[in-house]
Amino acid sequence: MKKSFFLLIGICFTISGFTIFNEKLFYVPKDWPKPAYDFSKNPLAHDKVELGRALFYDPILSKDNTISCNSCHSQFTAFAHIDHALSHGINNLIGTRNAPALMNLAWQKSFMWDGAINHLDMQPLAPIANEKEMASNIDSVVRKLQRSKLYPTLFLKAFGDSIITGEHTLKAISQFMLTLISSNSKYDSVMRKEATFTQQEKNGYKLFKTNCSGCHQEPLFTNQQFENNGLYVDATLNDIGRMKITLAPNDSLKFKVPSLRNIEFSYPYMHDGRFKKLSDVLNHYTSGIHQSKTLSQKLEAPILLSSNDKVDIIAFLLTLTDRNFLFNTDYSFPKELLLKQ
Amino acid sequence: MVKSPWLDFFSPHIIKIVFAKINQRKMTKLLKMKIRIVVFLLFLNSIYSNTHAQKSNDISVSFYPTFNNSVINFNQPAFYKTGINDSIQFDLLRFYISGIQLLNDSKVVWKEENSFHLIDANENLLSILIHPPLNISYTEIKFKLGIDSITNVSGVMGGDLDPTKGMYWTWQNGYINFKLEGKCNLCTTRNNEFQFHIGGYQFPYNSIQTISLMVESKKNIDIDIDLAKLFESIDLVNTNNIVSPSKEAVLFSNKIASVFSIQKK
Repeated sequence: MKKSFFLLIGICFTISGFTIFNEKLFYVPKDWPKPAYDFSKNPLAHDKVELGRALFYDPILSKDNTISCNSCHSQFTAFAHIDHALSHGINNLIGTRNAPALMNLAWQKSFMWDGAINHLDMQPLAPIANEKEMASNIDSVVRKLQRSKLYPTLFLKAFGDSIITGEHTLKAISQFMLTLISSNSKYDSVMRKEATFTQQEKNGYKLFKTNCSGCHQEPLFTNQQFENNGLYVDATLNDIGRMKITLAPNDSLKFKVPSLRNIEFSYPYMHDGRFKKLSDVLNHYTSGIHQSKTLSQKLEAPILLSSNDKVDIIAFLLTLTDRNFLFNTDYSFPKELLLKQ
Repeated sequence: MVKSPWLDFFSPHIIKIVFAKINQRKMTKLLKMKIRIVVFLLFLNSIYSNTHAQKSNDISVSFYPTFNNSVINFNQPAFYKTGINDSIQFDLLRFYISGIQLLNDSKVVWKEENSFHLIDANENLLSILIHPPLNISYTEIKFKLGIDSITNVSGVMGGDLDPTKGMYWTWQNGYINFKLEGKCNLCTTRNNEFQFHIGGYQFPYNSIQTISLMVESKKNIDIDIDLAKLFESIDLVNTNNIVSPSKEAVLFSNKIASVFSIQKK
């Protein structure tokens, strides 16, 4: 009798566990904070994630079926746009900002360099509608999906309804993006005491904690705040950053602190992709800070690093590369779905 | 293996005992009794559902966009004369009503659950039904013009709040609370068009407005939106394009809220 009681309790827990989030699709790595995303409103399910993955890789989202999310967010660069300071979208039009890497989005509180987007569900609306990216709108995307051969069946499987809505489309894309967790770099192994840093990496980590972690806080390597990191204003863009959203002068030239995970592959760097190499970035912080009214307080005192120090910091930054993430086949192009068409 | 007590309950041994105790005659009696109970329950249910239906009231809340007492037809755009003798044409009107409440003596007596409604003049969706209980009396209706900030930050929603409705900004998050577009020669814009997309949920540019109107209990509520009055207070030469959260948007939202009034019979 005892046995069956425990069995019952066990079953209850498994069921409730699955309704919160499906462990196979999402997990909170050890010592990480609670995710910001409210899973209760969009519980992960395999069919929804797979639908979202198809949508992520499908150029059907753009006006002329040429640009997909993947066009500017490729997996092997941690879903950033390699070699593109500013991304190009439809008709080879060039945007105004660097496409950010996509990972650990369940923990992210705001989206875009200026925090214009407040919720992961709503993020895809921006590139879909941007004239220089996909130049479409969610209404016509939904109508195109409804007319396609593939999607009504996938939506039926995922949501129990073959009538496609904006809500279901965006929830599905969120589902896929939520599964993009990067938490298996060498750094993570060292933190879990499964590996050790080399002497150089160790020294780099120490220097990093003294000079960089004020903004690039572990374990996500960002404090998710908006800061002016002392870049001179590029006169061809005149990007005022966060101020565009809040209209508050004290937000002028502030941009979101990006995560440094997988930074080895997410070049070029900064909101306008002006630096190609990590050494350029470190040189900026030691000798390139441009003074202005809204400069981050954390950068008021100069950062002093010898060239050896910089090499060590870079050695540490390379331990943030997560090959399990970059080459995880669960995140890659869904051949079985999209090539069949 | 230890057997569960639940399994014991269904064991053939016990079932045999139960059946042995009920003979054929008793079974038919039991069946008749059962039928009687079911009929009685159905009867009770019909009474209950009748009274239940009577307990709530269907009240329509309708909106009439007007210009100097004539109702504007958004599907057959016509020119209307403004106070300064210029003509104005309206092409699109769409807005959100949310958080509907009925009040008596400034006390809330009824609140609509999950209260979000898209009013669309071009689609002729100008009327909604609310279902307050019959036994309440009230003197006032209160609702929000727009979508509250909590809903604005809670991710994607369906129904009237689905982003395919064209009432959601894409370059920056947030619902558009009120959309009004048209033409007037005073506007030096392309095709003399004016565009007011009023939204914004964050301080200090929160453009959601609360509208409160005196009504009579149990009667349909007809609300005029007097656009002539609205454009009396707007300088179309200088203000003809508001499409993002801003000080101007907040000011405009104040003006819109002030031209909602109960229709004079």
